Amino acid sequence: MREITYAQAINEALRQSMQQDERVVLLGEDIGCYGGVFQVTAGLLEEFGPERVVDTPISEAGFVGASVGAALTGMRPVTEIMFIDFTTVCMDMIVNQMAKMHYMFGGRGKVPMVLRTNIGAGRGTAAQHSQSFHAIFMHIPGLYVAAPSTPYDAKGLMIAAIQNENPVIFVEHKKLYIEKGPVPEESYTIPFGQAEIKREGKDITIVATHALVQRSLNAAGEAAKEGIDVEIVDPRTLVPLDKETILNSVKKTGRLIVADEGHKTCGAAAEITALVAEEAIYYLKAPVKRVCSPDTPVPFSPPLERAFIPDEKYLVPAIKSLMEYA
Amino acid sequence: MATEVVIPMLGVTVEKGIIVEWIKQEGDPVARGESLFVVEADKVTTEVESPATGILAKILIPAGQEVPVLTVVGLITEAGEAIPDEYKARPAAPAAEHGAAALAAASAGARSAPSASAIPRGPIAIVPAARKLAREKGLDLATIAASGPGGVILLRDVAAAAAAPGISASTLARRFADRKGVALAGMEGTGVRGRIMRADVERTLIEAQTPGLGKIIPMDRMRQVIARRMSTSAFTAPHIYFFTDVRMDPLLNFRREILPDFEKAFDLKPSINDFLIKAVALNILDFPILNATVKDQEIHIAPEVNVGLAVALDDGLIVPAITNADRAGLVDIIRQRMDLVKRARAGHLTMAELECGTFTVSSLAQYDITYFTAILNPPQSGILSVGKTRDELYLSDGGAVKTRQQATFGLSVDHRIIDGTVAADFLQNLKWKLERPTFTFLNL
Repeated sequence: MREITYAQAINEALRQSMQQDERVVLLGEDIGCYGGVFQVTAGLLEEFGPERVVDTPISEAGFVGASVGAALTGMRPVTEIMFIDFTTVCMDMIVNQMAKMHYMFGGRGKVPMVLRTNIGAGRGTAAQHSQSFHAIFMHIPGLYVAAPSTPYDAKGLMIAAIQNENPVIFVEHKKLYIEKGPVPEESYTIPFGQAEIKREGKDITIVATHALVQRSLNAAGEAAKEGIDVEIVDPRTLVPLDKETILNSVKKTGRLIVADEGHKTCGAAAEITALVAEEAIYYLKAPVKRVCSPDTPVPFSPPLERAFIPDEKYLVPAIKSLMEYA
Repeated sequence: MATEVVIPMLGVTVEKGIIVEWIKQEGDPVARGESLFVVEADKVTTEVESPATGILAKILIPAGQEVPVLTVVGLITEAGEAIPDEYKARPAAPAAEHGAAALAAASAGARSAPSASAIPRGPIAIVPAARKLAREKGLDLATIAASGPGGVILLRDVAAAAAAPGISASTLARRFADRKGVALAGMEGTGVRGRIMRADVERTLIEAQTPGLGKIIPMDRMRQVIARRMSTSAFTAPHIYFFTDVRMDPLLNFRREILPDFEKAFDLKPSINDFLIKAVALNILDFPILNATVKDQEIHIAPEVNVGLAVALDDGLIVPAITNADRAGLVDIIRQRMDLVKRARAGHLTMAELECGTFTVSSLAQYDITYFTAILNPPQSGILSVGKTRDELYLSDGGAVKTRQQATFGLSVDHRIIDGTVAADFLQNLKWKLERPTFTFLNL
């Protein structure tokens, strides 16, 4: 199968969705002429014109509000917030309007829109352009939250998100945009709430999201040299969460690491840990470990940023420490 | 201010101690004088009291590790006080010179140190899956040996306990059995609901001692101590030996005579040994050099006469001392002797009781042994050995052949400081005292 990048896979999902459904429109800062700061929307303005690919002013509350309105009136907007950091300036639109309209109108209105944004540190963009607080949206009823880790998942989940009748926060990872992987050329969907086991193992379950999936695969490779057999579960969507796959894996291995780039406190990892504590605690042979970002702002200093980023250097010791409970 | 907890000096010849058990756990409040941990040194276990009131903030040396005396093993802080940084990073290891076992224990300690904070300080740390299995199997968590980091019970520990069903044993018994390399399976327990106690393991060991050719037996701690002390004594103190026959009828008659009244008055039965101890103590007053110890270029004559009595145990020998035996009345000597022997057999003697002896009496009178030589109990300079009492024919003054009861007494002394004539005099005087009990024990 041909290989394309994560950014290209999302681009292809958008293109194919726009070709199939003229209600699909794009809004966002610099997504048209410039093609998006990560080139995810490159070439779409040329193909679909300024009516469907709208370069907005720097006014997140304004254009997210406009997208909610468009969705309510029958469009299927896919709106980009350049960095997840900027969702804070349009939280009312997201939390109180986009997520709540369907409920407030007693089901007589719906908001079938996708809010694209990205997380992740590692590009030297400091504390206001590197955050990973996607877990905030898991906390808001009424929102779906997608978290693709591969180009294949990104395309399939994006098309599914656009077809979804409810608002989706589509959380991309900026370090993954240039990562390549096999992606079918035709349009396809990945159903929400269906985790994928990215690596089968019997000793430890790592539930990993986004970039932590590949980092966990690398760490699992290291651990395999010492005979430790790691299973990696990628939830792919955080809301809805495929509890069954996670719990079955933990029941099989009895040891759990949750790896997520969000801050440790109240992060996605905390939620998944709590789930296991509630529903599978008697299967645990060892304490649970979370490999997350520390509870500090993302540092600008490159050495500090490297230390901040949860990756193999924390995953490998975490794996080994759990095997002390062998 | 944080207070350091150390393994105290446990006696003049004790260099190292092993913490058998921490009675208090990290985070427990402690009062000054409360027992903190149990330490075993040479042959004796001692409870060590807290030097301060506060919180036992840190255990630096876990149970099972042998460290030199005066090693800092824990830290007591005042409520709310943080642990000073220098103790946080401190590895749970002593200085490097303490052998492979200590090193192994130290590295195990270091390995578990980081995880220890993650383990909830409950009465028993166990991972959930292990707890569930233990519940299903109806196992008592207290009886399951933990192998996880920081002493947490793992699933495999429960599985192992479940695979050997019905084995309920005390922690001490498990540790002891482990040390001796005996299996608990099939052992009869005398504790509550058949729980195997330390004494059961000891009994099993003794029973297993019958025909034992072609075996390699690791020395236990007591045997190691005995071996070390006997070699030290034999190879540093040149021994000379003296023997004399002591006529025993007078003492036996004397004892028989006072026995009914004595029992009635004190509800105690004096043994021949009790009289021997008293007579030896009185004799030492006449020969203080027999109460001496060699220290470098000096002869130290001890201020008290404490007569040690060799007590045979199932797997060794121990010599607790009857203190101030020269001044103690017979009742006091009997009570001391009974108490010491009982506690010696239970392993409950204190270091002081073992180390305060200044002279030793070792009797094999209950065996068919005429006489024997004894090795000095260091750092003492004299030891009396007592053979069996036997019937002998003798020629009376009138030329008639009569019988009398006689025992051969031996005296070993340290020839560095005690000359042959002094030793001979001592033994002769002792004989005189024992053959004239009424006069000797006039003051009882």
